[in-house]
Amino acid sequence: MIPQVTVGQYLALDSYVHRLDPRTKIAISLVYVVTLFLVKNFWGFLVMAGFTALAVVLGRVPARLVIRGLRPILFLLVFTIGLNLFLTPGDPLFRVGPATVTRQGLELGGLVAVRLLLLVATTSLLTLTTSPVALTDGLERYLKPFARLGVPAHELAMMMTIALRFIPTLLEETDKIMKAQMARGAEFATGNLLQRARSLVPVLVPLFVSSFRRADELAMAMEARGYRGGRGRTRMRQLRLGRGDWLAAAGTLGLILAVALTRGWLRLGW
Amino acid sequence: MSRFSTRAVVEAGVMVGLAFALSFVKVFQMPQGGSVTAGSMIPLLILAIRHGPGLGITAGVAYGLLEAIQDSYVVHPAQFLLDYPVAFGLLGAAGWFGRLPAVGSAVGIAGRFAAHFLSGVIFFAQYAPEGVSPWAYSAVYNGSYLLPELVISTVVVFILARTLLARLPAPSPGASPGASGGAEA
Repeated sequence: MIPQVTVGQYLALDSYVHRLDPRTKIAISLVYVVTLFLVKNFWGFLVMAGFTALAVVLGRVPARLVIRGLRPILFLLVFTIGLNLFLTPGDPLFRVGPATVTRQGLELGGLVAVRLLLLVATTSLLTLTTSPVALTDGLERYLKPFARLGVPAHELAMMMTIALRFIPTLLEETDKIMKAQMARGAEFATGNLLQRARSLVPVLVPLFVSSFRRADELAMAMEARGYRGGRGRTRMRQLRLGRGDWLAAAGTLGLILAVALTRGWLRLGW
Repeated sequence: MSRFSTRAVVEAGVMVGLAFALSFVKVFQMPQGGSVTAGSMIPLLILAIRHGPGLGITAGVAYGLLEAIQDSYVVHPAQFLLDYPVAFGLLGAAGWFGRLPAVGSAVGIAGRFAAHFLSGVIFFAQYAPEGVSPWAYSAVYNGSYLLPELVISTVVVFILARTLLARLPAPSPGASPGASGGAEA
């Protein structure tokens, strides 16, 4: 009744994009998303799409996986395109029943659709080529400067790391306990809301007790090995920026300049 | 010295993991995509009630970020922040109501609803043409799966607070993990 689960969509391959530092990939994704909202015309979108396509090829990610990642937004896509197509005022192009499709609607709908597709494709590319643990590491490094302001950067990353480690174990345990209670006659999928809520209690109590016990044991084991929080902690795997990372940064700068050109914010001197 | 004890951080990590695991167990599926889970918010609410809003909010943000890795459903920068770190971080607001667990749960989930609601409005302002009211749609969509979750979570937290939490050793900040070790056995 509980599906086999792996957290995230990480595809363990060896490629240029996979080998990039997670910090580089997070920064590029951020820049990409912001840039995408500055793009207003066809050429701009072409540049952005080209960048994403290049990343897919360099990351050796099968295109069908990227396309499959777009499935959750299908409904949203049809919905927003439809809204824009029929409800944007402007010069009428043709009529479908009582509704009029306008030229402006077609343009706006197309713009919205391409932006949505590129956004989801590129952000899912980040999780396809970066393991959750690497993402957590990168995130911790970005949040570290804010630790002075009281942001618990290390604790946040530690929680995510521990959670990632325990999700499969806890899922299996949930399954086991649910089956054990079903064998005793428990019903989870029948009755009204209140009955369903109450039926969860016999599952959650043993789950919580064993989870607290696990937390106790792990905390003790960590302190026995000298864990004292984030300050002064050394790492087995150091994050290091390599030549590839600088190359990727240069490519992203090129993307920004190209988009600036399409907006006319930048003129080449000829 | 960190703000949180090792024991508190580890417990938060395990609770985030438990919340994530429970989010895969669907109690029922909504026709339009949302689904009601086996009380996946309960571990985060219980954690906030036990340890206060600081740890609760941090754990909520950690959960939200993991959820973002899982889904990677990003359609707008503000939508990303609101739907993931902010929405789940607000569950930690339950920690301000340590003495009233059921009220805290309702407040935490109301906070999560507010974040999703706002994100829906921003999304529509960005993508829908003028003349389409984003407020009603966002409220109905997000309410449709969060309201049943709210009922389930509040009832279960109320029961758990009286049975389970009352018997657990109280978390003491900065205490050595050995002090509370194995006490629930």
